[in-house]
Amino acid sequence: MPNEALTPKVEAPLRKALESKEMELNMGPQHPATHGVFRAILSLDGEKVVGIEPVIGYLHRGIEKWAEFRTYQQAAPIFDRLDYVGAVINSHAYVQAVEKLLQVEIPKKAQYIRVVLDELQRIANHLLWLGTHALDLGAMTVLFYCLREREVIMDLFEAMLGQRLLPNAYPIGGVRFDFPRNWEKVCRDFLERFPRLVDDYEKLLSENRIWKQRTRGIGIVTPEEAIDLGLSGPTLRGSGVNFDVRKAMPYSSYEDFDFEVPLGTRGDVYDRYMCRVREMRQSTRIVSQALDGMPEGELKAKMSKIIKPKAGEAYACVEGTKGQLGFYIVSDGSKQPWRVHVRAPSFVNLQGLETMVMGELVADVVANIGSLDIVLGEVDR
Amino acid sequence: MNNHALIQIGMSLLKIVILLGIVAFCVAYAVWIERRLLGFFQSRLGPNRVGPAGLIQPIADGLKLILKEDIIPANARPFLFKLAPVFAIVPAFVGFSIITFAPRWVTASGHNHAFVIADVNIGILFLMAISSLGIFGIILGGWSSGSKYPLLGSLRSASQMLAYEVPLTLAVLSVILMAGSFRLSDIIKAQQGHLAFIFPLILAFGVYLISAVAETNRAPFDLPEAESELVAGFHTEYSGMRFAFYFLAEYANIILVCCVATSLFLGGWVIPFFPYETFGAAHPWLTSIFGLAAFGIKAVLFLYFYLWIRATFPRYRYDQLLKIGWTVLLPIALVNLFLVAGIKLYLLR
Repeated sequence: MPNEALTPKVEAPLRKALESKEMELNMGPQHPATHGVFRAILSLDGEKVVGIEPVIGYLHRGIEKWAEFRTYQQAAPIFDRLDYVGAVINSHAYVQAVEKLLQVEIPKKAQYIRVVLDELQRIANHLLWLGTHALDLGAMTVLFYCLREREVIMDLFEAMLGQRLLPNAYPIGGVRFDFPRNWEKVCRDFLERFPRLVDDYEKLLSENRIWKQRTRGIGIVTPEEAIDLGLSGPTLRGSGVNFDVRKAMPYSSYEDFDFEVPLGTRGDVYDRYMCRVREMRQSTRIVSQALDGMPEGELKAKMSKIIKPKAGEAYACVEGTKGQLGFYIVSDGSKQPWRVHVRAPSFVNLQGLETMVMGELVADVVANIGSLDIVLGEVDR
Repeated sequence: MNNHALIQIGMSLLKIVILLGIVAFCVAYAVWIERRLLGFFQSRLGPNRVGPAGLIQPIADGLKLILKEDIIPANARPFLFKLAPVFAIVPAFVGFSIITFAPRWVTASGHNHAFVIADVNIGILFLMAISSLGIFGIILGGWSSGSKYPLLGSLRSASQMLAYEVPLTLAVLSVILMAGSFRLSDIIKAQQGHLAFIFPLILAFGVYLISAVAETNRAPFDLPEAESELVAGFHTEYSGMRFAFYFLAEYANIILVCCVATSLFLGGWVIPFFPYETFGAAHPWLTSIFGLAAFGIKAVLFLYFYLWIRATFPRYRYDQLLKIGWTVLLPIALVNLFLVAGIKLYLLR
């Protein structure tokens, strides 16, 4: 509140005229830095953000409703389009929910293959995130280096699954194919080269004074706030809350693997950045371990061609690339699901934007949106 | 008017036309260099399809911009909107008129050709004044666009350029102190046969470089035109040839800064250890060509430096940018000035 003693005594009409109004700035759906069709209506007091109203829905495609009119197998490919950057893991979450409904057990070999592909997808996602985040903050070179690395992973996906970006990776019950000839060798080559490349990116950014000034102390979310908002993934772990679905509720044999969960301390953009960079390194470890310990066995569980789960409901969640990705499926005993609901991590994490952005400058909004790592396909479905 | 005056005017006009042509060419191909070089930094090729190694690309771009529809937004103020790019581009080109590109060519018949258009006695001061006019181009452009993003961008840019004018001028002032003259050709001659000013004035050199990058609105100080934050800042609403003017003005400013930096700190056309008295006197035109080449190489070095930092660094936030200008560069420039003044007064009698 303004100090009465210090406020100059100004005539009432003049004071009203001197008050500055807040400026409404529309960071429109078409904007180079909003990572998709996302609209944020900012209220600015000068350069400071005093209010933000996110407007979503520009990418709503009715995916959940659409799935109600398809059989379980037919519905599978569309869930790739949710988080179109981390598609393989979307597929995993969905088939896991259906497998829970059907109560089938997936062969160990299929689980290990799923882990390999999931973690490669995580690396690919974090590479794109890093590139675009750095690009938003002006370091344009990092984007091209990250995309170059992503090409290798997408080549691996194309060789194994037939598609680079949206491969519809997993059938219900296991995996479709084993690794093709030479695939493991290429993959191991990549895993060997990759840590040094991550070192390169860190050299460009992590200790860079400009980067630190742009990201340290920006967008702070305390652990309590983070839990209250329901954040998950690196956004949550950047605030220091140790919750990773792979460790807390292990699925698909993740308990067999030895990896760390990177945590932040301050909950700012820099910590979220470090979490994801370190996650890339940890994913490399997981893939190596999975390839080393690949068991023999079936690729798919024995089940009937027609998938008709008993009436009931199931919720299965995985550690998606953006956070906890969950599928809640209600079956009415027929071949088509009665209801599919996606617990999209980007949608929930986006609610943290207001906490992060209040009181900061316009330029920081961009940094914060980047650190949230949202994909509008997931937010809007 | 007598013959002599007419010849003088004619020669000046000729020099102006030649310089304008060369500068326009350099500005267009500076864009080509930037796109190719940035590509190489980023693991890709840059333009390589339009002509060999993409060399026709600037011409294709220029042609495209000329042929574009001239859009003036409904909310814009038409007169100022059309005037603003002129304010941006004219100072950038006018600044070249005081730079000496090569040593004087004294022919056998006594004709004296100076490789400069107007070697005025207030050289550098004139340059500082003229380049300050460029700020108007940005302010007017942003305000007359009638839209919020350009307004924000132009205000930011204006504050930024004001903030960095001061350390820039102070750094240049220390060079003037060392040389004892405002005239650029005197400054270059003061470095002939002696150390280039970059050595005693290394602080001023650092301040000048950083301030110049900020003055020209280049990364990491390019917030006014930060794509990711303000779409395109003050030139969001400009398209076609008007946008081309802003674009060319920016690159012309960069090249101007590079030329001025080589003149002030690297000795301009001076080649170290070159026997100017003997060889220079005997072969004047060859010396001039060598001088021109030396100038060009040094200027290109600075251009490379500009591009290199653009490829590498993230962007400073606006308030951090201003803080650096006022609280870091200004004190360093002041300290440097006092140091140089002290040295000049007490050591270099």
